[in-house]
Amino acid sequence: MNMIETHNLTKVYGDFTAVSNLNLHIQKGRVYGFLGPNGAGKSTTMKMLLGLTYPTSGSFTINQKKYPQDRISILKEIGSFIESPAFYGNLTGEENLDIIRKILGLPQSSINDALEMVGLIPYRKKLAKKYSLGMKQRLGLAGALIGQPPILILDEPTNGLDPVGIHEIRTLIKSLPQKYNCTVLVSSHLLPEIERMADDIGILNHGHLLFEGTLDELRMRARTAGYSANNLEDTFLAMIDADNQQKGW
Amino acid sequence: MLFLLEAKKIKHTGYLAAFLLSGIISCIFPIIHMLVRAETFTSLPGNPYVILINANWKMMTMFNILIVICGACIMYHTEYANSGMLKMVTLPVNSIHLFFSKFLITALLLAGIIFSQITVLVGCALHWFPNASFDFISILKNTGFQWLIFLPTAMLMLFLSSVCKNMWISLGIGIIMVFTVSIFPQDNFVVSLFPFCSPYQTLAVVDENSHTQFFCMSCIIQTVLFYLAEVLYLKTRRSFT
Ligand SMILES: Nc1ncnc2c1ncn2[C@@H]1O[C@H](COP(=O)(O)OP(=O)(O)OP(=O)(O)O)[C@@H](O)[C@H]1O
Ligand SMILES: [Mg+2]
Repeated sequence: MNMIETHNLTKVYGDFTAVSNLNLHIQKGRVYGFLGPNGAGKSTTMKMLLGLTYPTSGSFTINQKKYPQDRISILKEIGSFIESPAFYGNLTGEENLDIIRKILGLPQSSINDALEMVGLIPYRKKLAKKYSLGMKQRLGLAGALIGQPPILILDEPTNGLDPVGIHEIRTLIKSLPQKYNCTVLVSSHLLPEIERMADDIGILNHGHLLFEGTLDELRMRARTAGYSANNLEDTFLAMIDADNQQKGW
Repeated sequence: MLFLLEAKKIKHTGYLAAFLLSGIISCIFPIIHMLVRAETFTSLPGNPYVILINANWKMMTMFNILIVICGACIMYHTEYANSGMLKMVTLPVNSIHLFFSKFLITALLLAGIIFSQITVLVGCALHWFPNASFDFISILKNTGFQWLIFLPTAMLMLFLSSVCKNMWISLGIGIIMVFTVSIFPQDNFVVSLFPFCSPYQTLAVVDENSHTQFFCMSCIIQTVLFYLAEVLYLKTRRSFT
C-alpha cells in the first residue's frame, strides 16, 4: 500500500519550474530516500506534502487523505523536519517539545522519549537559542519524532551533526519502521547516506524524477549501464550528468 | 488551551516585564503631575475625574500605544527568530487561532493596564479634589470604553507584525504611525476614528459630543476588519511562498 502518492505534482515559481510532474510512490512501513543535488526540488516537494506551499498543479494523497480538505487530519499523522530546525529560542528544549506535545495531545512521557531518542536529555533545561548547531538539529528531529507519528518527513536530518551523531540518527531512522511501523520519507544529497538508511529511493534532478525503485533495482540499473554495482555514487553522478546534458542544463 | 500555549511562548522574552514597567510608569505619571501642579487642576471647575483624564490621558495612552507596538513585535519576533512559526504550521492547529490567542493576551494585559490607570486617576481625584466622589460603576464604564477603543490599534499592530518577518519593519511602521497621528488635527472627528488615534479619545469628550455609540461601533468593526485581514493573509500566504 502506498502511504504517500503524488500525481503529476508541479510547483512553479514565477517562470521557474522547481518541481515538474512528480509521481512518487512511498510505501507503507518503508524508508524512502529522496535523493538529488542542491536545488533539485526536494524541500519544495516536502513543503507541498506538508501544506506549507500550494502545488501549482497536480495532487497528492497521504494515507488516502487529500490536501487541502483533510489538512488538519493529515498533519496529525506526520512528524516533520524541513530544511532547518524550527523552534522557539527563548524556551528550553523541553519547553519546545511540550508545546508540540500539547498541540498533538500526547502524554507527558512522550517528551522524555523524544529527548532520549535524539540524545538531548542532558541539555533539556537549556535555552534552545544557546544550543549548538547539532543540538538544534537534534531538537528539530525530536519535534518530528515525538509521539511516534505514522509518517515522518525528514529533510536532510543529518545536516550539521558530528560523525557519531550522523551514525546515531541514521541507525535510528533505519530502525523506525520495525519499531513503530512508520513510513519515512527522508531527503539527502548524499547517495552513500541514502544507501545506508533507505529501502526505496527516488532520484530527483531539476524537478524531474530520474529514477524510482528499490536500491537493488538501482544496482541492477548500474550494472546494465556498465558501472560497478559497488559504486552507486558513480551511477548517481552519471545519471544526473546525462540528464543535465540531454536537457541542456 | 492554545491561549495558554501562546502565553508560554512569551517566557524569557521580556514581554510581561515590558508591559508591567510601562503600566507602572504611566500610572505614576498623573500622580507626579498632581504633586507638582495640583492647584492648576483643583482650581478648575467641573468633574474632577474629567479634569484629570483630560490632563493626563494623552501621555498615558502614548505609553499604552508604544507598549502595544513593542508587544506585538516581540510576540512575532519569537515566532520568526528561529522559525518557531514554521513548526506551528506543520502541526495540526489552525494558524488563525494562534493569532487570536496573541490578540487575547494583548487585550487582557491592556484591560489590566487601563483599569489601573483609570483607578489611579480616580484615586488622584479623591485625594486632591474636595468634591470628588467614588463611583465604581463609572470606573468600569470608563475602563471598558478606553479598552474597546484601543482594540483596533492592538489588532492592526499584531496583523502588521505577523506579516513582516523583520521585526524592525513592523516596529518602524508602528512608531511612524504614532508620530504621523500626532501631527493630524486632534479634534477632527474622522481622524479620531482611526487606529493609533482613537485610543487618545476619552469617554467624557466623546459623550459630550454624543458620538459614543457610533465611536464604539466603528472600533468594533475595525477590530473585526483587521482580524479578517489576517484571515485573508493566512489563506493566501501559501500561494506565494
Ligand atoms: N520561495 C521560492 N521562490 C522562488 N524560488 C524558490 C523558492 N523556494 C525554492 N525555490 C527554488 O526552487 C528550487 C528547488 O529548491 P529546493 O529548496 O526544493 O531544493 P532542494 O532540492 O531542497 O535543494 P537542497 O539540497 O539545496 O536543499 C531552487 O532552484 C530554488 O531556488
Ligand atoms: Mg532542501
